[in-house]
Amino acid sequence: MIMKHLLLLFFTIILLIGCGNEQSDEQTIYVASASDLYHALTEIGDEFSENSDINIEFTYGSTGLLTQQIQEGAPFDLFLAAHESYIDRLIEREAVFEDSKEYYAIGRIVTMSSSEENVPLDKDYLLSPEVQHITIANPEHAPYGKAAKETLESWGIWEEIQPKLVLGENIRQSYQYVESGNADVGIIALALMNRTEFHYELIEEEAHEPILQALGIPVQTGKKDLAKSFMQFVLSERGQEILLEYGFDIP
Amino acid sequence: MDTIVTPLWLSLKVATIATIIAFVMGILLSWWFAFNNNKLTSFLSIVVTVPLIIPPTVLGYYLLLLLGRSSTLGQMVESITGQPIVFTWKAAVIAASIAALPLLIRPIQASFETINKETIQAAELDGAGKVQLLRHIIIPLAYKGILAGLVLGFARAMGEFGATLMVAGNIPGRTQTLSIAIYDAVQADRMMDAHVMVIILSLVTILFLYLIHRWFK
Repeated sequence: MIMKHLLLLFFTIILLIGCGNEQSDEQTIYVASASDLYHALTEIGDEFSENSDINIEFTYGSTGLLTQQIQEGAPFDLFLAAHESYIDRLIEREAVFEDSKEYYAIGRIVTMSSSEENVPLDKDYLLSPEVQHITIANPEHAPYGKAAKETLESWGIWEEIQPKLVLGENIRQSYQYVESGNADVGIIALALMNRTEFHYELIEEEAHEPILQALGIPVQTGKKDLAKSFMQFVLSERGQEILLEYGFDIP
Repeated sequence: MDTIVTPLWLSLKVATIATIIAFVMGILLSWWFAFNNNKLTSFLSIVVTVPLIIPPTVLGYYLLLLLGRSSTLGQMVESITGQPIVFTWKAAVIAASIAALPLLIRPIQASFETINKETIQAAELDGAGKVQLLRHIIIPLAYKGILAGLVLGFARAMGEFGATLMVAGNIPGRTQTLSIAIYDAVQADRMMDAHVMVIILSLVTILFLYLIHRWFK
């Protein structure tokens, strides 16, 4: 009796495998991208696909994880990292073509508040007892977190705010901590502010090392030409215009 | 619609195959553990719970190292099949089977251990081979434990996320399972999509678990 059931199960599997064949995707490129680019790059990709016969599938994730995966041969055709150091590391390990590295944007950060009040979000406010939790992305592996840490250091309050600090896994998670009211203030990417109603203030450029964002083409791609044409669109006037709209600076 | 149907389909495919693999391994290992009770097997039966102990993302990272293109195993598979195993749906199957295995073994082994040894010896005396023994004596007597293991294992495989994200990646249409698609939607602030997918994942898994129950009754 049980054998009959197993047989049935077995045929179900065969059916599942048979139907789930992978789509033919000669005109599709797979693009790995840092998650701070979500809104901007999706728009750039849509516009690109409309004007060409190339289809793009995006994988958004933390730059650290994607770097790790590309190093292990993940089948991506283009990689947009949140910081150039990751592209450099991949070039060093011969996982990305050396001549494909290009700067495509400079990231800016803001202090973002979860309260309605229009108080200045400066260092005195961060130190005040009203603010119980301050969130930044993990400076160990998130470029925006590193810039946030540098900012707090240059303001001279890094040590003092330690008890209030909550680390997000990536910049998007920090954004969600503030948005949900669980953190009073966050240091967040300007690029994530474009659809927000929350109060935020741009942090001066001098407060941290510039977040130079770079891209590169992984060596195992079979579609270097297609990847290049999308890369050129990102770097074109139109592509840069969209990035500018979403709060990036242009290199 | 495609953004939900494709990941759902992939999840079902991955979880079903992973459950079958873990089921076969689970039956064989449980048999070994239950009927050859010695120091080695009682030690190993504890060791197989390790995938439950280590965080899934860490498990995934080790799988990535073990199966990756720079590893011996990864290169071996690539030279035979012509393509790497990591970042394909097959890698997702491996991750899900390993995650599900301990949950299958535990109840199955426990139910095997309740089987009277004399029953088995009697069957062996009557000339039953190993396969007959398994099919006509052990599995029918232990079906409750097997059912429990299948339910737990399949549910775990459907919900598997951390290890899969690491070793198979989050590639839409190729390795993006429903669990990963949900994470993606939450990260991107597409909460409505996430809610819909959570409901679908739960309902479909419940339906499958119900079918497993029906099949085995």
